[in-house]
Amino acid sequence: MAKAFKRKGNRFVARLDDVEREVVVGLLQQTQEFLAPVHREPTGDTFDDLVATLGVRPLDDPEITPQAPPDPALERLLPTANLDDPAIAAEFRRLTEGGLRERKSDNLAMAIAALLAAEDDKVRLDHAQAQAMVVALTDVRLLLGERLGLRTDDDADALQDRLEAASEDDPQLYLAAYYDFMTWLQESLTQALMS
Amino acid sequence: MSIAPAELSRTEIAEDTALDPPWITLVWNDPVNLMSYVTYVFQTYFGYSREKSEKLMLDVHQKGRAVVSNGPRETMERDTEALQGYGLWATFQKDE
Repeated sequence: MAKAFKRKGNRFVARLDDVEREVVVGLLQQTQEFLAPVHREPTGDTFDDLVATLGVRPLDDPEITPQAPPDPALERLLPTANLDDPAIAAEFRRLTEGGLRERKSDNLAMAIAALLAAEDDKVRLDHAQAQAMVVALTDVRLLLGERLGLRTDDDADALQDRLEAASEDDPQLYLAAYYDFMTWLQESLTQALMS
Repeated sequence: MSIAPAELSRTEIAEDTALDPPWITLVWNDPVNLMSYVTYVFQTYFGYSREKSEKLMLDVHQKGRAVVSNGPRETMERDTEALQGYGLWATFQKDE
């Protein structure tokens, strides 16, 4: 039986069995794949390559999406940052998207490593790992929430009813159950970080 | 919909750039982010007090959005990027 995160001295400890850890790691990995920075072959142009390592896209990059990205989940994870002016929003995306993807991906990797290092079903995090985990769980929930069609607070409130009403072979049932589990974990870790 | 004005906590920046038009960072309500987590992010990133962070979080939750910082454009872009890093729905715009 899983036990939520609690602060123990300067550590944050939860109890998750093999299956539970596997579920969380799997969701973190899927989110990481979803967010993975677009890999770029060296262009041969020293300046462009340097700029690319900084996570900034060159101005003439054909992959630049001047509007919001097509997948709505990506828009939730990397939202359009200026609603008044599409040019400002596109410029912000060009300058920040690569770096944001990379930092989120690093965070998810740190959270995955911490879960894989669990001993005796105990996940023990130091403060930096706990901070990475709480952000990583947010990104997982944003992705799951979008896949579950959560658009309003009422949708989120109705999730429990949907869970109870769903038939066993409903694929949304698993998503909803995972979402519920991630919410429970994140809430406990947030409370522990604030205590 | 009304916006609750966030208290100015960056007066030293605002004074230096009094001639520039002010910009704001907004956080918008979404159905996924936890109330506790949003409060935690405001405390952690901005260094706002628990009380101020909770008030801003409730503004986001109840009014749909809140102004969480204001100042020069570059600072608002930095705040927006950081808050998006935390998974919040953050945007920046001219204060009008």
